[in-house]
Amino acid sequence: MTGQAIIHVRRLEKRFRVAMHQGGPFGALRGLMSRQHRVIRAVDGVSFDVARGEIVGYLGPNGAGKSTTLKMLTGLLVPSGGEVIVDGFVPSRDRRLYVARIGAVFGQRTTLWWDLPVIESLELLRHIYRVPLDRFTANLREIGDTLELGSFLDTPVRALSLGQRMRADLAAAMLHDPKLLFLDEPTIGLDVVAKERIRRFVLTMNQSRGTTVVLTTHDLSDVEKLCERVMIIDHGALLFDGALQTLRDRFGGQRQLVVDFEDEHEVVDVEGAVVAERDGRRAIYRFDRDRVSAAELIGRIAARYRIRDLEVREPEIEATVRRIYEERLLEGGNGGEGASDFPGDVPTDFPPDFPTDFPIDGPAPG
Amino acid sequence: MRSAEEALPKRPPSSDSDSVSAPAPSPFPSPSPSPARDSIGVARSADLYRRLVGAQIRSQMQYRLSFALDLLSTGLITLVEFAAIAFVFQRFDSLGGWTLGEVALLYGMVAVAFKTMDMLFAGFDPSDFGQSVRLGGFDQLMLRPVGLALQVLGSRFTLHRIGAIAQGLVILAIAIRLVDVDWSAAKILYVLVVVASQILFFGALYIIGSTITFWTIESIEAINIFTYGGQEMLSFPMHIYHPWMRRFFTYIVPGVFLNYAPVVHLLSRPEPIGLGPFAPFLAPFVGVLAMALALAFWRFGVRHYQSTGT
Repeated sequence: MTGQAIIHVRRLEKRFRVAMHQGGPFGALRGLMSRQHRVIRAVDGVSFDVARGEIVGYLGPNGAGKSTTLKMLTGLLVPSGGEVIVDGFVPSRDRRLYVARIGAVFGQRTTLWWDLPVIESLELLRHIYRVPLDRFTANLREIGDTLELGSFLDTPVRALSLGQRMRADLAAAMLHDPKLLFLDEPTIGLDVVAKERIRRFVLTMNQSRGTTVVLTTHDLSDVEKLCERVMIIDHGALLFDGALQTLRDRFGGQRQLVVDFEDEHEVVDVEGAVVAERDGRRAIYRFDRDRVSAAELIGRIAARYRIRDLEVREPEIEATVRRIYEERLLEGGNGGEGASDFPGDVPTDFPPDFPTDFPIDGPAPG
Repeated sequence: MRSAEEALPKRPPSSDSDSVSAPAPSPFPSPSPSPARDSIGVARSADLYRRLVGAQIRSQMQYRLSFALDLLSTGLITLVEFAAIAFVFQRFDSLGGWTLGEVALLYGMVAVAFKTMDMLFAGFDPSDFGQSVRLGGFDQLMLRPVGLALQVLGSRFTLHRIGAIAQGLVILAIAIRLVDVDWSAAKILYVLVVVASQILFFGALYIIGSTITFWTIESIEAINIFTYGGQEMLSFPMHIYHPWMRRFFTYIVPGVFLNYAPVVHLLSRPEPIGLGPFAPFLAPFVGVLAMALALAFWRFGVRHYQSTGT
């Protein structure tokens, strides 16, 4: 990772005081009086840098602290502790100057005017961001071509499909030439074709303009297609920060070798691999890449049995991430001091009447 | 960086020189030039406000039938309410010693002011604003490099309120004919200044109400007591109310200076509740002061919101 850091985050924390809800009549009123609160550590000591021109994927389950981090990076929320400096700005303090330099798309929400044609929204944003007309026209042409907006520029936003609306929102986020693009669940709810189009756009912007991109997602294929670097957060702490390949290598666990034999065999054991499944003439072996190579293993099997067909399966990143969550393989990761003691006492089992509109994470509250 | 071609092999080779070298065959219309682009400060804000309000009006014009119905219904409510009061006068002749025309003057001024405010400050209507905070709409405004109050102001513009405003003007016109006042240009100007002060005052109440929704949305009904309740209170002569209520509207929410005191002055009536000789002329000060306080509270509320979220 070369280039200077454009995002600088150190020991970032966000704690929320959430009022305990009281049941019964006048519950809301008593809630105001008694002021019983519990503290939720949505982000708990996260540190990282992002270099100019990087695309970083920010992964984690619902409620892990992804959106809260993104809200602090975009200036919507003031951190409870630690520091955030992005492109020389403290986002929440220098809001107006800062947001002129970034683009942000928050999943299901739109920045567009619901009842107006897309082009009119983009025009309004041109005035809001004070984009010079020639720059705007050139951008609209280039970005509009990449996102294929042409067919629905004159359609009111309310009549767009979700995929079209997301493309229009992405265009709106890039028309003022931001150096950074923050995307919160940019592909959520979209079909495969729409997802591909959005990924292609993000890559194009990153390459042709050097736009730094930070995106949160549930969809690991977003990460596989876009990000060289992955950060995994859970319970407010970074569990992993590094190259996608490192994640695979270190936590990818076991590869699989699927073999179809020519003949029936009682026993198909070989050294260096475990038989995970048997089904007729097919066997699935599991093996560690550190202990034996696929070629070696195939050689050993071929020496004993006649092989009709075979396939090497890489571990799926989903399984990898699930393993990290489940096993806490990397307790603390490299996420700074706060991340080293894993907060096991974070309340995740909320009472049934717990307010659902507090901004821990997840889709837009409400 | 991983290249687009590598990750997405179907992508045709992209070349950003395309966009520079081939400006002619673009399917995208060129937006119209803006004359005010280089203007600064207030002029820029005014320009942006005009565009935002224009967008709201164009949006509403997409639903013409709904607009027409809103126009009618909101207008009729004001007139029907006043008709009910007029019927009461048929039985009792006066209210606290005031004639129908005199009460109509109070009522009409507040109706015009409140409905105009409700059109201009619709973005700050506490119930709608609270909803926008909850649904993340306010976050979207925070992501734009423009002042937040200006954006909220430009986020809604309920043009159909002109129906209600027109009804208020009708009541006001009837009042002006009925009351025993020798109308001059100065007195008309005085009425305009008082109505403008009321607009500022009610707008301030809306802003304060919206700001409270940063803390809690469970209090919206309580907030409405001040806005709609305040409007109702100011529509009638203050001296008919219980003294503690008068004190509340004198010292805590000083609405008494915005309507009652000026109308007493216009009617050249003796002023029975002891407000002092300057009371009829305090309306603009109360209006501006209320707005200044509301905007200060608003800024405080935004900072609170930034540190807590919803």
